[in-house]
Amino acid sequence: MRLEQIIEEMDLLEAVTPSAHRLLQVVGDPKSSVGDLVEIIQYDQALTANLLRICNSPYFGLRNEIHSVKQAAAYLGMDKVACLVAIGSGGEHLRKAQDGYDLHEGELWRYSVASALITQDLAERYAEKHVSLLFTAALLKDIGKVILSRYVKELFREIITAVRNEGLSFMEAERKFLGIDHAELGAKVAAKWRFTQAMVDIIGNHHSPDRVGNGDLSIPIVYLSDCICMMMGIGLGSDGLAYRYYPGVAERLKFSDADLQRTMIRFREKLKAVEELVNYSKGE
Amino acid sequence: MIVGVGDMKVSNNPEVVLVTYSLGSCIGVCIYDSTVRVGGLLHYMLPEHSIDHVKERHAPCMFGDTGIPFLFKETYKLGAKKNRLKVIVVGGAEILDQQGFFNIGKRNYALLRKLFWKNNVMISFEDVGGNVNRTLKLEVGTGVSWLKTSGNGMRRIG
Repeated sequence: MRLEQIIEEMDLLEAVTPSAHRLLQVVGDPKSSVGDLVEIIQYDQALTANLLRICNSPYFGLRNEIHSVKQAAAYLGMDKVACLVAIGSGGEHLRKAQDGYDLHEGELWRYSVASALITQDLAERYAEKHVSLLFTAALLKDIGKVILSRYVKELFREIITAVRNEGLSFMEAERKFLGIDHAELGAKVAAKWRFTQAMVDIIGNHHSPDRVGNGDLSIPIVYLSDCICMMMGIGLGSDGLAYRYYPGVAERLKFSDADLQRTMIRFREKLKAVEELVNYSKGE
Repeated sequence: MIVGVGDMKVSNNPEVVLVTYSLGSCIGVCIYDSTVRVGGLLHYMLPEHSIDHVKERHAPCMFGDTGIPFLFKETYKLGAKKNRLKVIVVGGAEILDQQGFFNIGKRNYALLRKLFWKNNVMISFEDVGGNVNRTLKLEVGTGVSWLKTSGNGMRRIG
């Protein structure tokens, strides 16, 4: 019964504004071209304004102000612009407070932006071809929490007791009591919004890198970024760090102790700027 | 006053409340001398500075082995004495089944224990490990400290 309600609610979740939705689809699709992106942005004043605001935020520290989408692409490269567009378009639902997870307004969004930026850092390191796909997937991976939050709140005592006493991960406890977990629900949302299969797979498996084959690095990268974010305590809620760790991921990515610590140091340096980026993307 | 990741604050202003939010695998160390009403709060992220000597010079509080001595020295400058200090340690959480080098929380705590043992520092209260994130707060005027762990409300710990 509860599961039916959850699925029903998922069907009602609107995919932001139509142009932002189209943009997220294009950004997350490896087959899209620069032209597709420019085509959408340039005819939408609000999107253009938002993109330029983010480009001119202190995060990039650009010497000259950017005035056009074309200029942004020239300065930052199209892949970065695509990631920024995702930040500018993806926050509507994720910015809200998620009471079930004890996340105040803006906290889930901060977590999403932070883990997307770490994903970007790692994707570039592993020379992944579709950085913007990974970035967008990392940004939207917790969309399932937006729907599940209310139900988690109702059964919070049961869920947290199972986590504490039975050794379940928070996600396993979600599944036990609600019949579905936030990752699977997120994948359903992504499919319903007609995102690419690659994006649906990343969102659905972002806590389960053990489910994917050896050839694909995208899920291990997004998973690892999520772990780093949790360890650094960015935007953590009532689920804390209660997710499973898979040692094989670091081995598969040849990610050493020094790599881990340096990534954390690099990202810690950027934290203030991330905060500015999060605020700039409010579109206010 | 908010203490960020890899940051530290000390104060003898009775109006000040020191707080650090959302400690994951990082460790929060809070020290307080009730005689002179001096308190300090450190939020370090990694155990040892040897991973990055350049950063250590600019941000010693990012690492336990440089941040912890720095915290104590800064409170001494305001009149605190080691033998009067109340010491609180929280954080060092881990992801479920986390092992080996990835377990920064455990390594952060091991470093602290080693350092405290060597320097004869006793811990008054600690809440370390597990899979929860923590928020730590100290009221400098009264020395009262508070802890919030994920899934629970704020509780007084000292």
